[in-house]
Amino acid sequence: MGNTRVIVAVYGPREVQNKSQQNNNQALVRCEYSMANFSTGDRTRRQKGDRRSTEISLVIRQTMEASILTHLMPRSQIDIFVQVLQADGGTRSACINAATLALADAGIPMRDIVTSCTAGYLCSTPLLDLNYVEDSAGGPDVTVGILSKMDKVTLLQMDAKLPMDIFENVMQLAIEGCKAIANYIREVLLENTKQLESRRGG
Amino acid sequence: MATSARGGGEGEAAAGGGGGGGAAAEMEVEAYRRLFPVAYFERHLRESVRLDARPLASPRDTSVALGLVGSADGSALVKFGDTTMVAAIKLEVMTPPAESSDEGSVAVEFYMPPICSPTVRPGRSAEVAPVISKQLSDVIMSSGMINLKDLCLINGKASWIAYLDIYCLNADGSLFDAALVSTVAAFTHLEIPLVSVSDDGRVVTVPGELEGKTKLPLVNKDKRKLMLNNVPFSLTCGLHKEHILVDPTAEEESIIETFVTVVLDTLGRVVSVYKPGGSVLAYTSILKECITLAKRRAQQLRNILNESVSAMEVDKSS
Repeated sequence: MGNTRVIVAVYGPREVQNKSQQNNNQALVRCEYSMANFSTGDRTRRQKGDRRSTEISLVIRQTMEASILTHLMPRSQIDIFVQVLQADGGTRSACINAATLALADAGIPMRDIVTSCTAGYLCSTPLLDLNYVEDSAGGPDVTVGILSKMDKVTLLQMDAKLPMDIFENVMQLAIEGCKAIANYIREVLLENTKQLESRRGG
Repeated sequence: MATSARGGGEGEAAAGGGGGGGAAAEMEVEAYRRLFPVAYFERHLRESVRLDARPLASPRDTSVALGLVGSADGSALVKFGDTTMVAAIKLEVMTPPAESSDEGSVAVEFYMPPICSPTVRPGRSAEVAPVISKQLSDVIMSSGMINLKDLCLINGKASWIAYLDIYCLNADGSLFDAALVSTVAAFTHLEIPLVSVSDDGRVVTVPGELEGKTKLPLVNKDKRKLMLNNVPFSLTCGLHKEHILVDPTAEEESIIETFVTVVLDTLGRVVSVYKPGGSVLAYTSILKECITLAKRRAQQLRNILNESVSAMEVDKSS
């Protein structure tokens, strides 16, 4: 998304690696988020388990879990690995969008396409999809993740203060952004399926 | 199981037993492939062909793209078939130690995040990652590709340290070769930023626009490029019984136990030969053949790299 570049790999459903966590009724979803050392402006040696990575891993996992039909794959595990190559704001959203595409590519059954987008409010204007410079300006930053066709919100995060009516505007803007991304993702998936179909000769 | 995108079709054609290519026959071939990998592999070798229908001495399609990561000073993306590597260099200013006061330094780190292979588990890093890290930094130093004195800014006070991070995004064999090509490509793309000395004696990087404003622009003209001499290129061959297989994939690497990696430089001199054990004992004739194959591959890689450099320069000037 813009200058933010993210790559996601999905492995699974496969055998649960940690037998003690195995769930007999549904699949286990695991997510790991990591940023490359060169992804931000200053090269920082990131520790694997640092707080921000763990928090974002949790957020992505719970957002995707809401959409994956886990009861169809009991006693198995689905791994979502996210690697950020270049970060310029909105990494959380880029990761969720990429994870949706990866899960669809892996053929894992989902309720709906999950898309996410950020929006903010600077100089009395609501702004869609903030980059790093706009984000660091200190205004509020709302991240929204929705199930597009079902019109349900699975993720909503915000920091900084915002009056209620402006918040509604900003959230509405973010939801529209999510819907636009969902349309684009849907087109890409259809295109991909057509290519697969023609390659198979079916 | 998530189905892989590998063409079961090529395997069928070579094995000859795949019937009319119906779904049942395809499943039997896949099952045979998983249950008896060595037999499946040797059946292919008898026809002088490999699992992905390549001839024995032919490497995979290689592509190099420069400048992938905008936030880094130099970066490159390299693909050998499915093996994908991203390398990026970030330069920082440091005070050089007393014994090498006119030299900079290079720190190489190779990462295999769990994204690259189903066998890499989060929490436990891949066994082969630090080995490749060490091999890479040894080759860079011993080939003399970079003159560390080029990385010096002010003798005794400031010099560059180049942090090279290589991330493997997809591990499908020949990891060291791909990592080395991505290192070379990233250094080719590297542009050293302008610096000047601030009033309190600290060295600060100057963004392009402020060139005229500050006191001492230390770097001559524009952003400077590093002079690379004796660029190393490598080739890994797998030895199985009496066959030599060039550029093995991950599946082949799991069956073959013996590998030879030869690193050559631009003048065709051998920089390093690496054969870590293995059940096949190689005679000098086999090693000589590996070196010949490596020469051919080095020429190929050099052409690909030069093409991508000129492609990038066209992009920049347009």
